[in-house]
Amino acid sequence: MQRRTLLKLGIGSAVVLAVAGGAIALLQPGLQGGKLTERSRLVMGRVGQAMLAGTLPADAGPNQIAINGMLDRLDQLIATTPNHVQAELTELLGLLATAAGRRGLVGLSPSWEEATVAEIGEALQSMRLSSISLRQQAYQGLHELVSVAYFSGSDSWAVLGYPGPLAI
Amino acid sequence: MSSLIDPIREGLKRGWKVMGGAHGPVPAKITCDVAIVGSGAGAGITAELLTKAGLNVVIIEEGQLKSSSDFNQKESEAYATLYQEAAGRKTKDKGITILQGRTVGGTTTVNWTSSFRTPDDTLKFWQDNYGLGDYNPQALAPYFQQAETRLNIGPWLTAPNENNEVLRRGALKLGIPSDSIKRNVKGCYNLGSCGLGCPTNAKQSMLVTTIPAALDKGATLLVETRVHKFDISNGHITGLQCIAVKPNAAPVDTAQTATQVIAKHYVLAGGAINSPALLMRSEAPDPHNLLGTRTFLHPATVSTAVMPLTINGWSGAPQTIYSDHFLNTQAIDGPMGFKVEAPPLHPVFFGANLPGFGESQAKLFRQFPQASVLVVIMRDGFHAQSPGGKVELRKDGSPLLDYPLTDFVLDGARRAFLAMAEIQFAAGAKTVYPAHEMAGGYTSWAETKKVIEALPMKPLLTKIGSAHVMGGCGMAGDEKRGVTRPDGQHWQIDNLSIHDGSLFPTSIGANPQLSIYGTVNRLAQGLARRLTGLEVTLA
Repeated sequence: MQRRTLLKLGIGSAVVLAVAGGAIALLQPGLQGGKLTERSRLVMGRVGQAMLAGTLPADAGPNQIAINGMLDRLDQLIATTPNHVQAELTELLGLLATAAGRRGLVGLSPSWEEATVAEIGEALQSMRLSSISLRQQAYQGLHELVSVAYFSGSDSWAVLGYPGPLAI
Repeated sequence: MSSLIDPIREGLKRGWKVMGGAHGPVPAKITCDVAIVGSGAGAGITAELLTKAGLNVVIIEEGQLKSSSDFNQKESEAYATLYQEAAGRKTKDKGITILQGRTVGGTTTVNWTSSFRTPDDTLKFWQDNYGLGDYNPQALAPYFQQAETRLNIGPWLTAPNENNEVLRRGALKLGIPSDSIKRNVKGCYNLGSCGLGCPTNAKQSMLVTTIPAALDKGATLLVETRVHKFDISNGHITGLQCIAVKPNAAPVDTAQTATQVIAKHYVLAGGAINSPALLMRSEAPDPHNLLGTRTFLHPATVSTAVMPLTINGWSGAPQTIYSDHFLNTQAIDGPMGFKVEAPPLHPVFFGANLPGFGESQAKLFRQFPQASVLVVIMRDGFHAQSPGGKVELRKDGSPLLDYPLTDFVLDGARRAFLAMAEIQFAAGAKTVYPAHEMAGGYTSWAETKKVIEALPMKPLLTKIGSAHVMGGCGMAGDEKRGVTRPDGQHWQIDNLSIHDGSLFPTSIGANPQLSIYGTVNRLAQGLARRLTGLEVTLA
């Protein structure tokens, strides 16, 4: 029987999430100096690939370029958010980067590096429709980050058929 | 970037007194006749009237001074620079995302121009339940009229854009009454970018009307400066303390060296959520535990339709057609009624509000030019099961609204999904996507109706937003039922008036800007009279 570690998170109201696994070492913050750490870029990049599957270019090269653009815009977006939002985000991303958080909160067994887009997609679906409000809140938070970062980029406008700002 | 004249830049060249942020440091102490907190709907009307009466006024705004030269119609910049919490302010359980302005001109700088007088049945409810006998249509009419003249509020004579046509055509087919919405615009280019800051200065927001008028009459404007607290002693404010803040609302200086502003009278006009929070930080007297309670949001939800024709929802004046039909299908204090409108549709707003992700959405994204969206605003605050939300403070003093999405509210959302879908199909929609995580896209009204009726209407699954924050410092004829007196003064603090949307005892049941202009016009004229003996009018 695996020892369960209770993790109290500051996201939303005080909620306790039981995660399987050994003692959780101190979470590495997901943001450093207000920007995504390398690990957070990996996690958000994989989440972005799954959330935008079918919209981003299918080929690996252009897909990664689009994801890198999204991640750069995400850094800019995070810098505009209030301190309390950044505090929650650093904790959420720090948790997602751990095996326990990835399994318990996201529902993803393979590592972020190895999981396929389909596997990440299935895990995100389970979050989106979860009966645990913390998982739903985390999903909605991730969806908002990806959507705002993607659709505020002019490369998304070509996909949408949106001409950009109107001439005056 | 517009080649049109920027009235703010011109005013600065003429010598307007503006300090804070890029405009230079704020002195350690300022003395004046009246200090106004905020620069939005209520603040602007108040500032213009009080400076007309000859008073020395200081306006203190936490947001930046941005104007038409800055408004480049890009969502990424607009949401980050003009809105509270980068357009991501949320309720405590994350169930509702709130759009509220944070810039000179307040939410009026980013609203969608819809102008309605306070509905008669809302006023009747206030008279009957809050001892507000003077809040009747006849008494308020001259004040609304002046505001309409001053802000060029009038009928919009251009044909509705295609997104609004869907509402008009669908409602007509179903025999549901609809009408056109009056707008506060002058020389509008019919762009549709109102929510991103009007780049042509056609929108008669506080930014281009009352704030310039007050500054031309010698008022001082502090920007990027947040009022941290009032110093209150024996029911009297002795001064206020404000600090320099960054665009993301963090204090500039960790020591938070405050500027002190000392005035004879203080007007709090920071808007709902913010105004109650400031009074809480100030430990204002609140003997009946009313402060911050009864905060209303007009909970809003949408329905997305793919039409057989081109809609280009980002183009053309937004919200030009409305229907009040569903406000009148039940009593005001019955199940929650709602108003139906058609919002502007830009990429981030479109993408972020759609349920689901991945392949199922990819096709819909590519159909953006054919996408038509309807929005409802639900009329909260009139039923015992609709008490609204309560403002709290985080440890850092920032406000947090706890507004639980109850079954009563979510029942309104279900009926709203049904109403919007039926209108969209009647208008010829091919596919309709209700804004619920367990709904997909459906190609017939019969199928959509069945799905909506079976949806588990729960928070987070049901996508709810808000663009109208009201209440929290409600008015009432006695101190047991209100924070504020009918004349706008605080019940327990003798030199404080509250002149913003936080005054409303319930939600308005219509887009609120004109309700604030009309109400505050009367309150500020009364205040000017009490402070100077002079009669001033807005127009």
